[in-house]
Amino acid sequence: MAQPLTLSVWSDENVKVADVLAAMEGLRKPERLPPFRTTVMTLVMLASRRSNADWAMSAVYELGGRHPARTLLILTDPYGDTGVDAEVRLLGGRADGAELWFEDIELTVRGDVTDHLDSLIEPFTVADLPVVSWFVDGLPAADDAMIRASDVILVDARGFGDTDCFETIASLLEERPVVDLSWVRLAPWRALLAGLFDGRELRPFLSGVRSVQVFGKTGPRHLLGGWLVDRLGLEHDVVELHDALHVSIGIDAVAGGRTARFEVVRAGDERMVTARAHISGGPESSSVVVLPDATPAWGLADALSHLERDPVYEGALRVALALPSA
Amino acid sequence: MTTGDDVNPLDAGLGTERRAPPLALVVFGASGDLTHRKLMPALEHLARRRLLPAGFSVVGVARTELSDDDFQARMAEAVKDAGPEWEALTRSFRYVAGDYTETTTFERLRRVLDALDRERGTAGNRVYYLATVPQVFSKVVTGLGEHGLAKPKDSDSFARIVIEKPFGRDLESAARLDAELHQVLDEDQIYRIDHYLGKETVQNVLALRFANAIFEPIWNRRYVDHVQITVAESLGVGHRAGFYETAGAMRDIVQNHVMQVLALTAMEPPATINARGIRDEKVKALRAVDILTPDEVATEVVRAQYDAGWVEGEEVKSYRAEEDVAPDSTTETYVAMRLSVDNWRWAGVPFYIRTGKRLPKRITEVAMEFKSVPHLPFPSDMARGLQRNSLVLRIQPDEGITLRFGAKVPGQAFRVRSVSMDFSYGAAFVEESPDAYERLLLDAMVGDPTLFIRTDEVDQAWRIVDPILGAWAAGDAPLARYEAGTWGPKAADRLIERDGHRWRSP
Repeated sequence: MAQPLTLSVWSDENVKVADVLAAMEGLRKPERLPPFRTTVMTLVMLASRRSNADWAMSAVYELGGRHPARTLLILTDPYGDTGVDAEVRLLGGRADGAELWFEDIELTVRGDVTDHLDSLIEPFTVADLPVVSWFVDGLPAADDAMIRASDVILVDARGFGDTDCFETIASLLEERPVVDLSWVRLAPWRALLAGLFDGRELRPFLSGVRSVQVFGKTGPRHLLGGWLVDRLGLEHDVVELHDALHVSIGIDAVAGGRTARFEVVRAGDERMVTARAHISGGPESSSVVVLPDATPAWGLADALSHLERDPVYEGALRVALALPSA
Repeated sequence: MTTGDDVNPLDAGLGTERRAPPLALVVFGASGDLTHRKLMPALEHLARRRLLPAGFSVVGVARTELSDDDFQARMAEAVKDAGPEWEALTRSFRYVAGDYTETTTFERLRRVLDALDRERGTAGNRVYYLATVPQVFSKVVTGLGEHGLAKPKDSDSFARIVIEKPFGRDLESAARLDAELHQVLDEDQIYRIDHYLGKETVQNVLALRFANAIFEPIWNRRYVDHVQITVAESLGVGHRAGFYETAGAMRDIVQNHVMQVLALTAMEPPATINARGIRDEKVKALRAVDILTPDEVATEVVRAQYDAGWVEGEEVKSYRAEEDVAPDSTTETYVAMRLSVDNWRWAGVPFYIRTGKRLPKRITEVAMEFKSVPHLPFPSDMARGLQRNSLVLRIQPDEGITLRFGAKVPGQAFRVRSVSMDFSYGAAFVEESPDAYERLLLDAMVGDPTLFIRTDEVDQAWRIVDPILGAWAAGDAPLARYEAGTWGPKAADRLIERDGHRWRSP
């Protein structure tokens, strides 16, 4: 869906929750509206900087009609005068040929209220549906009140630039399922690598891995290294991590007296990942996957489709914490 | 986590459990329309979704003389706006030119397949797709059998064959085709494709019925007054007139698509949602359909053909004026019928079916019309706008579900009228629905026959349809006429109105 059309807007400063709810009711009434977009979750986006908030909102708009959530954007300013400003937008758009309407709620929360966001969002959540809290520009502490008010936590480990974030995520995982956009975006590499071992001829090489090289930025390369160690039962020192702009993986393995090299490589700035298997004296195969455009929405649709605990991610994270932070 | 040779531990959590194993897909009729329009786009989608293995290739077989390079270029062009992954994939494609009756064609095919096993790691696995006219099905299968290509290469590999409808043109020819296939292939190697079953919303009939506690208890004669199944097309015969003249709506749509939708609607809950469970129950439902006698055909079935008219704002010619259609053609472009499903669940519940070309719009839906409440406690003038409850499963387009129920009209008076609660698939899921061919092609590759039609289903569908075709062939049934852009002939209205019902306006 293209950028949605704004049908009506209401905004005010220093409002009560009841004012916002009444305004939402008022906005819906006079319109002859097409069907309301089916809602399957409440998505709460929390940001402390306007630029991050706009970025997250643009990601949601990019999903458009295919993003079946009531969206609640919370912009926090803990040092401002205590109060809440609100804007409610009634939006219309098309998804799969059908006209739909939906509403966004934006709350600018200042001062003491920022410590009680859980009480603020509750009236805006859709009954019986999961509340997904997306911490756009920072990780919350495990005892953050918003964690209690959420069913699922959405984060992006790549954005934090160091491996310390893994410990925080591990503590969040003790409270709620965590969906990590960074992990979701690694799915093409993982799927391509897994696919190289399909078939009875190639599968035995998984039991004969001799060395693994993972390239990439801090975060993604650790998660991939942790994933391979965890899933293949490897010793930690089999895996070498290397800093690089783009993610690539190489595996050397032996089976049945033959050696093999498996690679999943993103070359240069092309948005294309190539997987290759070369078996000594045997078949050679390759496949290519084009990555989605690096828009804010990359990975978000997949992330919002899998809101349950991911034991594979949790295993990778557990090992990543123990890998050398190379 | 340690590794065993049977499972790939790297697949966990990726949702790629249904990724195809290494294989060669051999397409007979590779230069044809179906290959270009449906199969290649479906493969491109599968590649984009990372559901094809690295050890994968397509071998095209057709009479047209082409080199591998020509074939690769044609297949690359068959998908508009494809990315580099498609171009890279097509570079592994091979082509075998030849006649399906010649030994050399199959010998060349075997050499190409053996080479792919060595060079691309396709592991001896084959899926043969017969995208040809049905007249050559048995020639191809015989050729595969005679050259040792129809059986798996070894105990770890597989050989499957996908065939497109029509599966015969009557009960006898279907049985003959089946016998020819079974001379070479086991039933579990045969995947009879009806693309309707690959549609998400057709499969969702199963989810709606068997994953929800609220629908199944009312899905029976106690609550359902009647069922309407509509398969409407706004298009005419287009370039298919040659085929359509010999088939008509009964063979083209009713024998396959409609019977499948009817079976899914009427079937009992299977013990498990697997191929055998579902197909056993579908066959049982089809067996319960009352076979019409010639006399009943005259009263329970309406056939018709469209005249000129206006459809979707465009003037269209009559069927008989279409290119390649005989000016005195008696081929039916419309069928309406009333069927009974004689079992405990459905006894006494009429199933009204209608399908046609040049109807006002393209729509496929199943509507369960429920019985009225036993006593309406409102004065009749207060409930004038109240209709029966209905549950409509929209299969295409705008896939979704609509539930119609009564609600109070706001105001001082207690007036009641019907309202609709509408659910649209497109607005509820982040995931895009796979195309029907994409879904079914992958099913054939991973060896899941659930959505393919088993031989006894084909047989049973013909048993229902054959007597009707026989009665028509005897020349007794009139051919009604309807104006293009209308919902069919008056005779179809009378068919349902005599039971006190009306066709829905979908």
